[in-house]
Amino acid sequence: MRFFDCTCGFGPYRTQVFRFARTAAELLEEMDFCGIDQVLVYHTAQRFDMPAVGNDLLLKEVDGHSRLIPTWTILPSQTGEQPSLERLLSAMNEYGVRALRLFPEDHRYFLDDITWGDQMAVYMERRIPLFIKTSLDKIGNLLRAFPDLVVVTGTQGSNPLDRYAWPLIEKYPNLHLETAGYLVDGIIEAFCQRYGAGRLIFSSGFPDHANGAALLMLAQADISENERQAIAGDNLSRLLAEAILE
Amino acid sequence: MNPSPIAREYLEKGRSVACPIIDMHGHIGPFYGAYLPSAPLDRMLRSLERCGVQRIVCSHHVAISYDVERGNALIQDVIDAHPDKFLGYWVINPNYPDIIEKDLRTFDQRRGFVGIKFWPDYHLVPVTSPKYAPALEYANEHDLLVMVHTWGESPFDAPGLVGQIAQRYPKARFLMAHCGHGEWETAVSIARDLPNIYLDLTSVPNPHDFTLMPGGSLMPRAPVGGAQVNGIIEYMVETAGSKKVVFGSDLPWYSQHYHAGAILFARITDEARHDILHRNAERLLGRHLDVTR
Repeated sequence: MRFFDCTCGFGPYRTQVFRFARTAAELLEEMDFCGIDQVLVYHTAQRFDMPAVGNDLLLKEVDGHSRLIPTWTILPSQTGEQPSLERLLSAMNEYGVRALRLFPEDHRYFLDDITWGDQMAVYMERRIPLFIKTSLDKIGNLLRAFPDLVVVTGTQGSNPLDRYAWPLIEKYPNLHLETAGYLVDGIIEAFCQRYGAGRLIFSSGFPDHANGAALLMLAQADISENERQAIAGDNLSRLLAEAILE
Repeated sequence: MNPSPIAREYLEKGRSVACPIIDMHGHIGPFYGAYLPSAPLDRMLRSLERCGVQRIVCSHHVAISYDVERGNALIQDVIDAHPDKFLGYWVINPNYPDIIEKDLRTFDQRRGFVGIKFWPDYHLVPVTSPKYAPALEYANEHDLLVMVHTWGESPFDAPGLVGQIAQRYPKARFLMAHCGHGEWETAVSIARDLPNIYLDLTSVPNPHDFTLMPGGSLMPRAPVGGAQVNGIIEYMVETAGSKKVVFGSDLPWYSQHYHAGAILFARITDEARHDILHRNAERLLGRHLDVTR
């Protein structure tokens, strides 16, 4: 089985993390240990420094490592802290960045049409996948304004989230859940039975989550091999291929 | 690639004959605050089979959530029906001392119960309160296991509070469920220093950010959680030793494969994996594993 991990981070932390990858080389060693083929990756500087600084740093760090696929972090446009949308999309095309990340809690902004009206309509039209780390009520609020956005979320914290998530899954066809925090017993099977395998995306969540946990759960889920491969990597490959950057 | 033959076996077959699992932390029945597809007993049994779990020690959700008498009676039925799979913790609700007194009088007549279960965060009574004393004295006198829900910085069950009662009741053996999630160093140092405290890995491989739950945590005070948990199992083994760490999953809440994956892909030895996955539980449960009793 080919594992393409949709959320994996590397870089230093301010708090104690018992084992993490400081560099791209260390991250590759972690991936090798777990048998993960490719990673859609971010650098901690994209979350805990200015995103523009982190985005540049990420490109330098992953240069020459074809298994590490970069994602960029974005901010609202109003404060002028990131390039214009036109320049951003052009740079994404130039550097092969086919997905974006949002950290609303870390970067302190609303996830609504007032804040994001200028950008989200374009991302929705171009089917650029957005990996958003926030609560599902905020995801729902965003999708009410931009119902066809391609969104991947799901490491929602702690307790089972399906009473929140499944109504949104039924309403918004491009909403996807990643699996790092989707750890309820039997939930992959129940989800596939109801919605098919196309809306789940494998993630290790490294180093927020313990490496190997989500991987073994998916490897042993009671689903077909086609469904397993879709979740393990094919769905993510498809989402990235569908992004329109030219 | 991970060189562990045990990890390879779990990855390929989902289970291991040589290194099976004994799960020290499970529950029985549905839970009002969550959709748990494996809550029906037949599905739970299937999960145990698929992961090669020989035995699971459970408390009943009804007993924890609101009706301690009915919940404890319900789990007795499950244990009696499947004595080769289920063992029990008798839930203690410190808000009802009359029920505790009655239950302790008849505890030794119950079959399949290895100890008692406290959930102080949920019952809103600090684990150091005198309200728990009768149950703790009984556990101390009868060499019982005491499974205590713990969470970092909780005023009810932070690991430091469990350390206090473990010193007061040295013959009882305490399992710190969730390892005081987020307050790792305190929990691990207490388990290292006190011979009667063990670390239960339930929920540990997941970071638990309750601030991202739209409806909150169902507790009056949102708990903290560890933001990044990778490497925590290695830290526990290096600091407290592999003989102080046990497997738990919260089944039917969380996947046993998810929890096993974190242990199998931690950078520890296969000897440590044997300790965590089954040997420590075998030692703690002892005679209770003999179904012919």
